[in-house]
Amino acid sequence: MQALLSFDQAPPFPAPLRFFLSAPLYGIAAGALLLTQGEAVLASRWLPGALALTHLLTLGFLLQVMLGALIQILPVVAGANLRQPLWLARLVHLGFNAGSLCLIYAFLRGDPAAYLPAGVLLGSALLLFLLATGLALKGVPDTSPSIRGLKLGLVALPMVAGLGLLILLVLSGAPALPLVPLVDLHAAWGLAAWAGGILAAVGYVVVPMFQLTPPYPPGFAWQFNRVLLGLLVLATLAFFFGIPGLPRLAEAGIALAGAGFIHLTLDLQRRSKRPVPDVSRRFWRSGLAAALVACAMAFGAALLPPLATLSRWAPLFGVVLGVGGFMAILSGMLYKIVPFLVWLHLQNLGRPAPNMNRILGEPAQRRHYQAHLFSLALLVPAALFPESLTRPAGLALMLSQGLLLLNLLQACKVYRQHGRPATPQTVAG
Amino acid sequence: MSAPQRVVDARGLEPPEPFVRTVDALDELADGETLQLLIYREPHPLFRMLRQNGYTYRSSLWDDGTYEILIRKA
Repeated sequence: MQALLSFDQAPPFPAPLRFFLSAPLYGIAAGALLLTQGEAVLASRWLPGALALTHLLTLGFLLQVMLGALIQILPVVAGANLRQPLWLARLVHLGFNAGSLCLIYAFLRGDPAAYLPAGVLLGSALLLFLLATGLALKGVPDTSPSIRGLKLGLVALPMVAGLGLLILLVLSGAPALPLVPLVDLHAAWGLAAWAGGILAAVGYVVVPMFQLTPPYPPGFAWQFNRVLLGLLVLATLAFFFGIPGLPRLAEAGIALAGAGFIHLTLDLQRRSKRPVPDVSRRFWRSGLAAALVACAMAFGAALLPPLATLSRWAPLFGVVLGVGGFMAILSGMLYKIVPFLVWLHLQNLGRPAPNMNRILGEPAQRRHYQAHLFSLALLVPAALFPESLTRPAGLALMLSQGLLLLNLLQACKVYRQHGRPATPQTVAG
Repeated sequence: MSAPQRVVDARGLEPPEPFVRTVDALDELADGETLQLLIYREPHPLFRMLRQNGYTYRSSLWDDGTYEILIRKA
């Protein structure tokens, strides 16, 4: 039966790994931007540095990790096998990163000429990804809430990208649409329907699997992604048809739905069979707590719109949800996925694989976790008082993301060491 | 499918333990016997392996979030 243990459908290790290793580089770059440009980055969400920072984190880190994770996880969670996953990963990774860098350059330099290549590169890479995943999911029935959630999440990605392209067109001079609500809509699709929706769909599987919790109640899991997408559609229709009041209602609904998912996940984690949380779960827990704060902020702003116009509101919301929430949860996820993949691919090579805890030890993960909390402890006040703390916060973010990169490289080193063919022994006589 | 003769309760087990235990249980499964696997997710890599190796299976989701997979030789 040993042959049956081969998980032959797993995409090759380098396919997701290139995304996972690239993500902390953007995190380090985000820290470097804060360190070098200081308070100008956090002074307003509309400044070039703030736009660059936002996209370093959301495109460079968040979307990057999610693209890699989806390439890896679709066969496992949905039985959806991508064709030529390594080539797909190479092309998407190349186009996506070239486009992301181009866009960040355009923001930093205020160079509208760079918007076009950025849009073309990002658009093509994401279109290729969507075509490949759509083809893989074609005909896969919705036999679990995860599969439905992944499909609905993937519907959100072209909306995020389409609205992003529309914003680039507006910035280039045409068409004349109100920029602020359009940007809010782009952010809501990106953070709630895409990132939140995919995270929940993957969470239905990986939270019970890796954190030994009870499962999500099927009644909730079947409906959550539908509700999220429905509310976003409502907000979009309200924007394009100019229905007043409806966007606020949708925003409040999204915040409540998000808080419901977070509350449920925290409750499941409390009932885990593993009483002492490992570092991955600590990342999850702190990320969920931060995301809950962000949901409360979004709900508050929906009820009291003047709140969102306060100068410190958007930078604080971005730091809390982006770094405190998504970055932490994805780090916790990486610390389960990457060691598991090292183990899996060594098994497939027929090599003796070390225990997963020895592939990436807890102390190294804990150092990153502490550095992450330290960076957050500086970033939150920096968002409120940018003059004094932005540069130290940037340095702390660089340290935290540097440790993540080192830890991932360490896991790769174990893979290389154990995956190397044994040296042939010469027997004398 | 008839009532299961063998049961693997993989709820609350960390990967790859559910897969390994199921494969071990399949080794001992006689013709006509049914193996019941209880798990908190749909195990798609296992499904593929079962199809490749001449097993039939049926999956259903219980109200408490448990997936019951009933497996037997084709």
